[in-house]
Amino acid sequence: MRRLLAGIATGALMVAATACGSSGGGGASGKNASSGGTTTVKLGVIPIVDVAPVYLGQEKGFYAKHGLKLSMTTAQGGAAIVPGVVSGQFQFGFSNMTSLMIAQSNGVPVKAIANGVASTGVAGADFGAITVKKGSAIRTAKDLEGRKVAVNTLKNINETAVRESVRKAGGDPSKVTFVELAFDQMPAALDSGQIDAAMVVEPALATVRSQGATEIASSLVDVAKDLTVAMYFTSNQYAQQHPAVVKDFQEATAESLAYADAHPDEVRQIVTTYTKIPAAVLAKVTLPKWPAEPNKASIETLEKLGEQDGLFKTAPDLGKLLP
Amino acid sequence: MNTALGAAGLAAFLALGEAVPRLGIVKERYFPPTSRIARALGDQITDGAFWTDLGDTLTGWALGLMIAVGAGIVVGVVLSVVPYLREATASTIEFLRPIPSVALIPLAVLLYGTELRSVLLLVVYASFWQVLIQVMYGVRDVDPVAEETARSYGLGTWARIRHVLWPTALPYVMTGVRLAAAVALILTVTAELVIGAPGLGARIAVAQTSQAVPEMYALIVVTGLLGLIVNVGARTVERYALAWHQSVRGEVAV
Repeated sequence: MRRLLAGIATGALMVAATACGSSGGGGASGKNASSGGTTTVKLGVIPIVDVAPVYLGQEKGFYAKHGLKLSMTTAQGGAAIVPGVVSGQFQFGFSNMTSLMIAQSNGVPVKAIANGVASTGVAGADFGAITVKKGSAIRTAKDLEGRKVAVNTLKNINETAVRESVRKAGGDPSKVTFVELAFDQMPAALDSGQIDAAMVVEPALATVRSQGATEIASSLVDVAKDLTVAMYFTSNQYAQQHPAVVKDFQEATAESLAYADAHPDEVRQIVTTYTKIPAAVLAKVTLPKWPAEPNKASIETLEKLGEQDGLFKTAPDLGKLLP
Repeated sequence: MNTALGAAGLAAFLALGEAVPRLGIVKERYFPPTSRIARALGDQITDGAFWTDLGDTLTGWALGLMIAVGAGIVVGVVLSVVPYLREATASTIEFLRPIPSVALIPLAVLLYGTELRSVLLLVVYASFWQVLIQVMYGVRDVDPVAEETARSYGLGTWARIRHVLWPTALPYVMTGVRLAAAVALILTVTAELVIGAPGLGARIAVAQTSQAVPEMYALIVVTGLLGLIVNVGARTVERYALAWHQSVRGEVAV
């Protein structure tokens, strides 16, 4: 018995020792493994439809053509991606524009390098919308005054968007109560009446739609036509040290975005490889737009609205942030 | 008898899970009936990627637990044997112990990204205290007469640890290990869920964001089963390790 326990203890210590040992090696090789002219870069993404182009581009060989091999790391939201990129765990990441601007205004050294995803620009047929329950008395965004509206993150892009919709409908956004709720929980919360409206994006939007919910505003379209919603970014340090890799990534991503935009069926197919979206839901999902270049004017509008709503401590420097 | 009751309880629970959504008390869309979850579970089992994720979760759990138990025992004994050290560290331990492991998630991401090491950081931090505190309680329980007797017979520090301290502390250590095993599993799944490190937790998160509700519940059932296995396993180890101890001997005799 005593021998058994001694064994367990020794084993545990050995494991601890090897775990530490291998971690050092893994960190060094994982940073920038270069083999036969191919650079492996880690890309932090969220497992959603928006990042389909990079998966597709990897499959189609657009990245390989530029000497890149992407190692996709799925993280749950920007909370893990931004620090991961800044600390060098990932070389590149995917994040929405408001988060990037907040990071930049807080002195976090991030640099947007390639376009990520854009709204379709078509009101009533976008991948994000303010929705209300079937039969709700709320008809327009103005009616949201005094109501409870769910957004996935407070003080971020979707709150800005909802505020703008309310403003455009002639309402006062300061009278809206915002609550934070994950997109995937919004359909249930809307159904049970815990919230009056939800700013929801795909694939949860398809679920909400299938419940007979009404879309009262396409908020991302209200912010700006063809709004650049998210971009791929890197850290200032990495951009300075590896300009060639960044350039390769930019070019390959631009190709991938263009390809994805032109091949929606392939997009729907590739999405099934990294998400669990049921086929019935996926068929009804409204795909976003993937222009190769970010729309600077729309980002400036987003910045102004964010500033107006007090999202930034100091105004973000878009000249430094954008490519 | 106990097994039969347990099985009956479980069957009743499963039947309730089937009936509640079917009767429309909760919506099927958000809480699928047992049979739908079972079918989703069947789909998972035939998916190769599921087993890889299960392996990742078990690796994180086992490694984290071993490190925590090893470190907890060594640190606990050393702190208990050297009184000055114990006095010097008591306040630090009381300060660190209540910090929830999940609060370290930003630190873990900053240091290790979404790798296994992030999971280990959280798991070890959470389970280490379970073991450490139990070891320290166990050592405090040593009979002073036995300790003095050992001293007067001229036993050295190492011999006293082995023959007096360790047998007294072992039941406490085993309790600590059992608690740590459960905590380690919870933290492994939580870390994967929140950070996105590969494993069952990340799989649950993907199912959740994908609106794949039955799959999500199927995976939650898997984590529940894992917890059950871990607990039964820990109890078996405890029983085996303490076969000589009166608490277990007494239990067996009854």
